[in-house]
Amino acid sequence: MTHPIAPDAVVHVSGLTKRFGSFTALDSVDVTITRDKIHGLLGRNGAGKTTLMQLITAQDFPTHGDVRVFGETPMENAGVLRHVCFIKESQKYPEDWRVKHVFASAPHFFENWDADFAERLIADFRLPTRRPIKKLSRGQLSAIGVIVGLASRAPLTFFDEPYLGLDAVARQTFYDRLLEDYADHPRTVVLSTHLIDEVANLLEHVIVIDEGRILIDSAADDLRGSATTVVGMRRVVDAFVADREVLHRDGVGGLASVTVGRLDDAERRAALEAGLELSPVSLQQLVVHRTHAGSAAFEVSA
Amino acid sequence: MTAVTGLPVTPSPSRAPARLSKGHPMSRVWNVVRLHLTNTWAMLVTPGIILGVIFLANLAIWVIITRAAGADAPEAIEGTQYSGAALFIFVYMMVVAVQAITVTFPFALGYSVTRRDYYLGTSLLFVLLALAWSIVLAALSLLEEATNGWGLGGHMFTSIYFGNGEVAPRLWIPFAGLLFFFFIGAAVATIYMRWRMNGMIVFWVVSLILVVGLAALVTYTDSWPAVGNWFSTNGVVGVASWSLVPTAVAAVTGFFVLRRATPKN
Amino acid sequence: MIEEGKPIFVQIAEQIENDVIDGAIEEETQVPSTNEFAAFYRINPATAGKGVNRLVEDGTLYKKRGIGMFVAAGARERLLAKRRGEFRAEYLEPLLAEAAKLSITTDQLTDMIRTEGTQP
Repeated sequence: MTHPIAPDAVVHVSGLTKRFGSFTALDSVDVTITRDKIHGLLGRNGAGKTTLMQLITAQDFPTHGDVRVFGETPMENAGVLRHVCFIKESQKYPEDWRVKHVFASAPHFFENWDADFAERLIADFRLPTRRPIKKLSRGQLSAIGVIVGLASRAPLTFFDEPYLGLDAVARQTFYDRLLEDYADHPRTVVLSTHLIDEVANLLEHVIVIDEGRILIDSAADDLRGSATTVVGMRRVVDAFVADREVLHRDGVGGLASVTVGRLDDAERRAALEAGLELSPVSLQQLVVHRTHAGSAAFEVSA
Repeated sequence: MTAVTGLPVTPSPSRAPARLSKGHPMSRVWNVVRLHLTNTWAMLVTPGIILGVIFLANLAIWVIITRAAGADAPEAIEGTQYSGAALFIFVYMMVVAVQAITVTFPFALGYSVTRRDYYLGTSLLFVLLALAWSIVLAALSLLEEATNGWGLGGHMFTSIYFGNGEVAPRLWIPFAGLLFFFFIGAAVATIYMRWRMNGMIVFWVVSLILVVGLAALVTYTDSWPAVGNWFSTNGVVGVASWSLVPTAVAAVTGFFVLRRATPKN
Repeated sequence: MIEEGKPIFVQIAEQIENDVIDGAIEEETQVPSTNEFAAFYRINPATAGKGVNRLVEDGTLYKKRGIGMFVAAGARERLLAKRRGEFRAEYLEPLLAEAAKLSITTDQLTDMIRTEGTQP
């Protein structure tokens, strides 16, 4: 089977299916991850984000379908895997290790490892290097993953919900360091997260997965303004949105709030003249609407 | 970041490999050995301490025997050559093997190590550890002999099972024995990594059936004398050499089991 | 600083334009690098680059090879002309629409502008 693979594709996945018994975690997924972009992999818990990353990084075996990383099959392929870093959500570390052991062993496996950068990050996150791994807090464990992921400078880096237990300050530190280092050392980054509002501006490309299928695969800029919420008198709103695809509908009394797709300038003007109010839809709201999820499924960032 | 960093309006071409450098296979395997040895305590220091403690306990026992037995002491002490005190280290190495794999396999895959490199590196580690420990055990047996059982006539490293005779068998017997326990441990650990608890249950049930079945077979065919004969004709060295067969089977089994294992967190 | 609903690169371009119009960045001086913009606004560097590029294309900025981006001579005047052109659609029309909705006559509106304009 040959696929036309874009020359700047770092990962190319086609027809990828993964079943666990009768549960289909991924259902014939096609997706491309492009070189040197920061991608957001978004979706609800159990949507298939982690499974997709595990298949791309050859941690797990596909039921069907094809995975190409740097143009090759990643499974048991040292040439591919040496250039990949996968920071798992709750990475287990050898129980008898101390923090320093992680940073002593990581450089052997990542040829671009920057020890000075790792040192700076350890200071930024105030990580006690002599402390046994067993005695770390959830946030400190996450900080280890974040530091390994950043300092490895792997050409393809996955962060799977890397912020568990990290407070808002530490998360901001992570985003800032990621941006700075990415600017100086462009590489392909895939950031899987619930905290969509927090990372929305960092992303160049957005992939949304729901129930094992790709729901959105789009440049972040194209998604901005791809939905608008129209608010006003129910009758007027209904007339305005009559022949449009409605993403979300809400209302109280005679008021209605309806989220529809992109509006061009003429349509916006028409809406305003009809006395309707328009408000932009954030990426998080868009994902919530598109996955038909209650907003509770996504933690609202503070 | 300075104001004059040029202006790569589009990010400069990445250093993502155009041609994938695989690195030297041996250095990839060696990195796995280094990963296991990152924390030297679990691998080297802890077994050493345990061995030391057991040795001190033995010394104490010999002193007590010497004091208590009076004139019969030499005879009583002679009995210690049947002591299995040093055998603990063999069994302990099986535990080390199981721990090494269950702890570092998911971690190593997170470091993007292939299952093949991981298994080869882990096997190399086991061979090196078996070598190191057999040298230590042989050296201690020579020392024990030279000091006439640490001045007390005791036997810990010069038991009847190993640690007597020429230097070569003193090295060979513990080496083969350690390899056996390492790779049995490795095979058990890989079965656990691949099939988890279900795998363990099936493995132990099947093992039990095999052992009982084999014993029954030997009993019904009146072959116990033949089995005894086999052990006495081969001697300890021969048995040690023959143990390489199940060791090799366990090693190869472990490899193929791990090749399809998935790390679960 | 970054609002929803409008592509970020457009907002970056507008921000730089505002700085040029305000005189915060003078003509023939260097503007911050793409990476500095990215770090400051906490946005993707490629997006910041797209915003800067947009201004290079319309001649507001120009590139000095190996040094960086500079504001072109005459850029301020051109931007002012462009913004004046957009003023009607962006400010006047909504103003008139809202005034009509509230039944404010053109005379009343003119008066309001006069009084408001004289207050500090």
